[in-house]
Amino acid sequence: MDWPAVAAAAAAGLPATDPVVVTLANRVVACSASARSAGVRRGLRRREAQARCPHVHVVAADPGRDARHFEGVTAAVDEVVPRAEVLRPGLLVLSVRGAARYFGSEQAASERLVDAVAAAGAECQVGIADQLPTAVFAARAGRIVEPGGDATFLADLSIRQLAAEPSLAAPGRDELADLLWRMGIRSIGQFAALSRSDVASRFGADAITAHRFARGESTRGPSGRESPPDLDAVMDCDPPVDRVDAAAFAGRSLAGELHRSLEAAGVGCTRLAIHAITANGEEMQRVWRCAEPLTEDATADRVRWQLDGWLNRRREGRPAGLPGPIITLRLHPVEVVSAAALQLPLWGSSGDDDRLRARRALVRVQGLLGPESVQVPVLSGGRGPAERITFTPLGDEPVPRSDPSQPWPGQLPEPSPTVLLDDPVELLDASGNPVRVTSRGMFSADPVRLAGDGRSGRLRWWAGPWSVDERWWDPQRAGKAGRTARVQVLLEHPAGRDEVGDQALLLCYRQRQWYLEGAYE
Amino acid sequence: MTVVMRVDEHPLNRAEQVERLRRKMAEVSGRASGAGGSAPRRPMPSSASSSSSGNLLPLPESLTDLLPAPLPRGVVAVLSGARSLPLSMVAAVTAAGGHAAIVGQPDVGLLAAVEMGADLTRLALIPDPGADPVEVAAVLMDGLDLVVLGLGGRSVAPTRARAVTARARQKGCTLLVTDGDWHGASARLESRVCGYEVTGAGAGAPTPGCGRISRVRLATRAMGRAGGHARVVGG
Repeated sequence: MDWPAVAAAAAAGLPATDPVVVTLANRVVACSASARSAGVRRGLRRREAQARCPHVHVVAADPGRDARHFEGVTAAVDEVVPRAEVLRPGLLVLSVRGAARYFGSEQAASERLVDAVAAAGAECQVGIADQLPTAVFAARAGRIVEPGGDATFLADLSIRQLAAEPSLAAPGRDELADLLWRMGIRSIGQFAALSRSDVASRFGADAITAHRFARGESTRGPSGRESPPDLDAVMDCDPPVDRVDAAAFAGRSLAGELHRSLEAAGVGCTRLAIHAITANGEEMQRVWRCAEPLTEDATADRVRWQLDGWLNRRREGRPAGLPGPIITLRLHPVEVVSAAALQLPLWGSSGDDDRLRARRALVRVQGLLGPESVQVPVLSGGRGPAERITFTPLGDEPVPRSDPSQPWPGQLPEPSPTVLLDDPVELLDASGNPVRVTSRGMFSADPVRLAGDGRSGRLRWWAGPWSVDERWWDPQRAGKAGRTARVQVLLEHPAGRDEVGDQALLLCYRQRQWYLEGAYE
Repeated sequence: MTVVMRVDEHPLNRAEQVERLRRKMAEVSGRASGAGGSAPRRPMPSSASSSSSGNLLPLPESLTDLLPAPLPRGVVAVLSGARSLPLSMVAAVTAAGGHAAIVGQPDVGLLAAVEMGADLTRLALIPDPGADPVEVAAVLMDGLDLVVLGLGGRSVAPTRARAVTARARQKGCTLLVTDGDWHGASARLESRVCGYEVTGAGAGAPTPGCGRISRVRLATRAMGRAGGHARVVGG
C-alpha cells in the first residue's frame, strides 16, 4: 500500500526513511512508514497530516510515476523468477512452485526475492499461500501460509479486510463489507461459515467472489506476462560488406527474414530501425518511419537506400558515413501494428484500387531514382507561397512543417504564384538607388525599376510592402532573417516585343536583399 | 460476336455518339484480347482508369468550351506558355479522383494548384527525374491518370515519342509535355497571360501602391489535331 509514497520519495531523491505522504483530492492515499509512525493515516486531510507530522513531504498522486519506478522492481524480480504478474504498482504475484523447487524451499525462494528487490532499491514483504488473494493478505502479514491453511489464516482477519485491496475487489466491495459488519459478521471466518446459497441469494455477484475468497477456494492463478517475441532479423556479414551491390543483396535476404518473423507474429511494421556494426566496432542506426506497414520489397528498398547512403558517404569521406565495412546488420521493428492493415480483400477491391496502382508506379520510380526523388506535397501553415507546402518523400508520414489550421495573419491571399523562384534582384528608385524597407515597414523611396537576371524593366504598378511579422521573439532566427516584407509588382513588357504582356512578380525582402519569390503566369 | 446497340430516344450529337461507340469498342476489344494481353490493335484508352466521365479527361471549366472536342484519356498534349494551364489541368484531374504526377518541374507553385481545387493527396512531384525524364514518365503511366512532363528544352526522338505515345494510349494515362516539343502530339495548347486584374483598380490602370493582384487573365489557343479525334475513330 505504501508504494506511491516510496516511488514519490525515490522521484524526489529523498531517503526512504523520510516521512512522505501522497495526496489525491486533498486526502492522504499513501504514506511512508516513518509518516505512519508519526500518526499519519490514509484518508486524513493533507492539513491534518501536516499537523501530525510537521516535516512531512507532501506529493500529489501520479500513477505514471508509480508504474515507472515499479518497472525496475519488476525487472529485478524477473531476473530471479520469470513471468511475474503486476496487480498494481507495488504488488506482484508469481507462481512459487517452480521457484521453490529450484531454490530448495519456499522460504529460500522468498529470501532470494527479498534480496533481489532490495538490490533494486526497495523493501518488500513476501507472502505465500495456495490462492492468489490469500497470498496478498499473507504478504501484508509477511507470512508463509502452509498448504491447505488458507481458510484458517483468513478466518481471524476483520471483515473490513475484504475491501482492503483495490486490485482484488470489485467497486461495490466497501458497501458489502460495511453491510456485513452491521449485520454482526465481524471476521472473515464468520463470513466463510455462511452457506453459499444464502450468500448468493442475499448479496450480489461480487459477494460470491468474496465468499469463495473467504473460504480459500481456488481462484485464478497468476498469469505472468510472456516476454515479447523477438522480431529482430540479424545478419553477420562474412566477408564484411563494403560495396553497394553486396549491401543490396544482404538487405534483400534480411528483409525476407524479418518479414517471415513478422508474419509469424501476425503484425506489420510501420517503423523500422536499421543498425549496422562496422569492423572497427562502431554502431550506426537510423529509424525509417512509414505511413503504411512496410512490405517486404519496401523494407529491402529502405535497407538498400540506407546502406547505399552510408557507404557512399564513406567513400566521399563525409562525416556521417560508416567508419569501416559492415560486419553485422540488424533490422529491428520499432513499431508494429496488427497485420490486418496488410491484408488484401478476397473479393473485389477495398475501394482504393486506383490509389494502390498509382502508389506502385510511384514506388517503382522511387526505386529507380532514390528515396528522396518522389516527393508528396502536403498543405502546411505559413505566410509565403513556398512555406505553405511541405514536401515529404513518398512512404514517409506526410507531416506538415507547421499546422495549416492555425490562423496565419499576414498570409498572402489568392491567387498564389504558379512559378516559385528564389533569385536575388535589385529594386531601384527613380534616381537608381536601391529601395529598402524601413524599420517602420515602409519603402525608403517609391520603386521604379527592377533589375535582375533576365527580368529587368520598369514597373507599371506595385503594391506593398506587406511586412511579415514573425519570429521576432526568437533571437536566433530573427537575427538571421531580419525584417521580412513582400511586394507584388507588375513589370512592363520590354519594348518592341508586343506579344509579351506585362509580368506580375512577387518579391520578398529579407536579410536586406530583395528576392524574386514567384511569378504569376 | 454480336453487339447490341440501344438507340436512345433523345438525339445524340456527334461527339456523344462517338464516345458511346468508343466505349462499346473498348468493352469488346477488352473481352477479345484479355485483360493483361498485348495492346489492342486499335489504340484504346484502357477502361481501368474509371471515373464518372468514362474515357474523357476531366478538364478545367476554362478549357471545356475552348477545345472543339473533349480530350480523351491516353493522349499526348503539348502545353506551352503560362504555367497556370498545366496546373489547372492537374487540379481538375485530382479533384475528380484521378492521380497525377509532375515530373521535372522543381519550381512549380503547388499552392496555386490547391487554390484551383487540386487534391494534394493524389499528387506526387518528381523534381529531378535524372538523365531520362521520358523513361520516368513512361513508368509512371502504369498507375497514374495524368503525368505532366517538363522536358527542360530537350527534344525526344520521333521513334521514342511514338512508343511512349502508344504506351500512354494503352494505359489510359494522359501525358502533358511542357518546355519542349513532342512529335505527333494530339493536341497543342498555348496560353499566355493577357492581363492582370488588380483589386480596387476598376477598369482603369492600377494605381501604384494600392490593391493587389486578384486574378490572372489567360488567353489559351488550341492547335493541331485537337479536333481530329472524331474523324480518327471511324478509320
